[in-house]
Amino acid sequence: MHGFSYDPIHDEIVVNSPLTQAILTFRGSVNGEEAPIRVIQGPKTQILGMGYAALSTVTADPAHNEIFLPIGSGGYRGAGTGGPEGVLVFDRMGNGDVAPKRMLAGPDTQIRNSTPQVAVDPIHNLLVVKSNGLLIFDRTAEGNTKPLRIIRGPKTGGFGGGQITVYAEKGLILTNSMDGWAVWSINDDGDVAPRWRIPVKQITGGGQNSGIAVIPKHKEIMIASALQNRVLTFYFPELFD
Amino acid sequence: MHKKWPSVGKATVGVALVTVVFCLTRIERPSARRPAGYPQLVSIQDLRMSPDWCPPAAPAVPEDSNLFSAFGNSSVYAGSPQSGETGIITRPPIRTIRDKDPIYSAVAVDTRFDEVILMDNNMWGLRVFNRLDNTEPDAPFTDPKRIISGPETDIQFNNGLYIDPHNGDIYSVETDTGDKVVVFPRDAKGNIKPARILATPHRGFALAVDEDKQELFVGVQYPPEVAVYRKEASGNEKPLRSLQGESTRLSDVHGIAIDPKNKLLYAANWGHVSDYRIAGTGRFEDPSISAYPLNAEGDAAPLRVIQGPKTQMNWPAQMTIDPDTGDLYVANDMGHSVLVFKGTDQGNVAPRRVIKGNRTGLANPSGVFVDSKNKELWVSNFGNSSAEVFPLNADGNVAPLRTIRSAPLNKVSLKFGKVEALAYDEGRDQVWVPN
Repeated sequence: MHGFSYDPIHDEIVVNSPLTQAILTFRGSVNGEEAPIRVIQGPKTQILGMGYAALSTVTADPAHNEIFLPIGSGGYRGAGTGGPEGVLVFDRMGNGDVAPKRMLAGPDTQIRNSTPQVAVDPIHNLLVVKSNGLLIFDRTAEGNTKPLRIIRGPKTGGFGGGQITVYAEKGLILTNSMDGWAVWSINDDGDVAPRWRIPVKQITGGGQNSGIAVIPKHKEIMIASALQNRVLTFYFPELFD
Repeated sequence: MHKKWPSVGKATVGVALVTVVFCLTRIERPSARRPAGYPQLVSIQDLRMSPDWCPPAAPAVPEDSNLFSAFGNSSVYAGSPQSGETGIITRPPIRTIRDKDPIYSAVAVDTRFDEVILMDNNMWGLRVFNRLDNTEPDAPFTDPKRIISGPETDIQFNNGLYIDPHNGDIYSVETDTGDKVVVFPRDAKGNIKPARILATPHRGFALAVDEDKQELFVGVQYPPEVAVYRKEASGNEKPLRSLQGESTRLSDVHGIAIDPKNKLLYAANWGHVSDYRIAGTGRFEDPSISAYPLNAEGDAAPLRVIQGPKTQMNWPAQMTIDPDTGDLYVANDMGHSVLVFKGTDQGNVAPRRVIKGNRTGLANPSGVFVDSKNKELWVSNFGNSSAEVFPLNADGNVAPLRTIRSAPLNKVSLKFGKVEALAYDEGRDQVWVPN
């Protein structure tokens, strides 16, 4: 599981199950072995599998009652799914074999990745897709739509393969970089350097820092470091002030 | 034209700076700040240009007057597209969640040298103990004889273990990023390169060897497969054969076992099924154990399947066979138990024996090994930094004969398994860490 989502409005957690082509929703207070309250699964969902990669994250947009599921080719190691690379959007209350509300995919989207990652900014109505850069779309984009902006190029310092999140209150995108974590504005466009960078590898000696959570209450960010099996908390007041 | 500073002025500024640094160390920290174990600039105050001046012991500086607030909304560090600069945050983390003790995903015994090898899935290594080691309840832990660990070893996210009964070679399969089996000589220790590396499919989770035919079996989680190699294979050598396909009923494979006497292969399946190329093929099934001829290949159907609620299976992990009795031992992770079936069992059947209960010390067991020479059953626990040994005929809520513990008694392991993502629940002020 490379990403899942907490929905603070409805107190639910949303998890994808790549091996069964499903999206599961649990109560936010879930503990132990408890059945999901909703399962999206079946042929109408158009959810392909993960193959050797892909389909490893999911993101809820509780403000608009939607669930975003990035889909990739899965061709990371070996044969891919042969399916599209893009984003499926489901109704949050969808249950059973339901079709997606919309699908964002096609050559103009520039989503070309075996394992794309997404984040939603419900305040500024944006969808950010990490796929060879940061592709910024209108939140409701569908079909073969061009991104509004693209953050890509040598000045970015490159992107790692892990989680991506948006701190919508400040309009900031947080994603892992080649050496740790980096922050861009949702208004950035083109080959631009990040606003901030946390070179986690340099600071802690660890690598593959792939997960992130923003903790406004404490002006902190938490970073999951897969290769060290640890979670680091950084005091990061600049992000919130 | 710039006015040159007189030397007295330079000295005054110099002394003032030293004084500022000294005085800053005496400023009480704002209560909102956390001890970080390193120097921090906490405030900006007007500085009187007198070397004798030093602020009195002041009340805590309120948070809204700290350095960052003093610079207003645009941080002191913030870069911008206009400047082309990036603010570099170099302060160390203020907290770290990490289990500093091993978590044992697999176990095997070298009966020739009376050694037990435990696979540490937390810090990624292999720990070797004497077979008869026993950590007394009041002892904090037992030291291993040898540890194989470090970047040179190429051990990462390791789950499957095999010990060559003839020469003691140690085989370890890696489940996520490495896609390989690494092999070490019996007496290896420290941060050393493997003697041999074999590239395997992504998500290898279990190992077994047919010593008669000198074949290495690699159980692959997903897409589910059992790949069979020459035992001495290395590099990018291709498998001799592969068992995979819908008819096999393999699903999310987490354990394999070989019965050389009856020429059988067993696979433990978690029941997560799909053909990743076809939408709508995903489904949840009950976990199962499927049995095949040892030479099965392609999309071969199993000879029989153990599956259903009576089996008590819940995340069945590593398995091992007692060659003398045909008993099939299953580490039943989420059931906190070891289930014992007959290799000939089929369908929705109850286990012949179940080792489970508060006396057993089992906590998320994921590794099992039958030591048929000493008539002992070894179990490694993912949940409490320990491995236990039971009599081979153990049944019910029984205490182990011995325990090798690598953390204080009753410690519950963090059970992180390559943490890749986080989610914050602000209402509860809790963070989710999926594994």
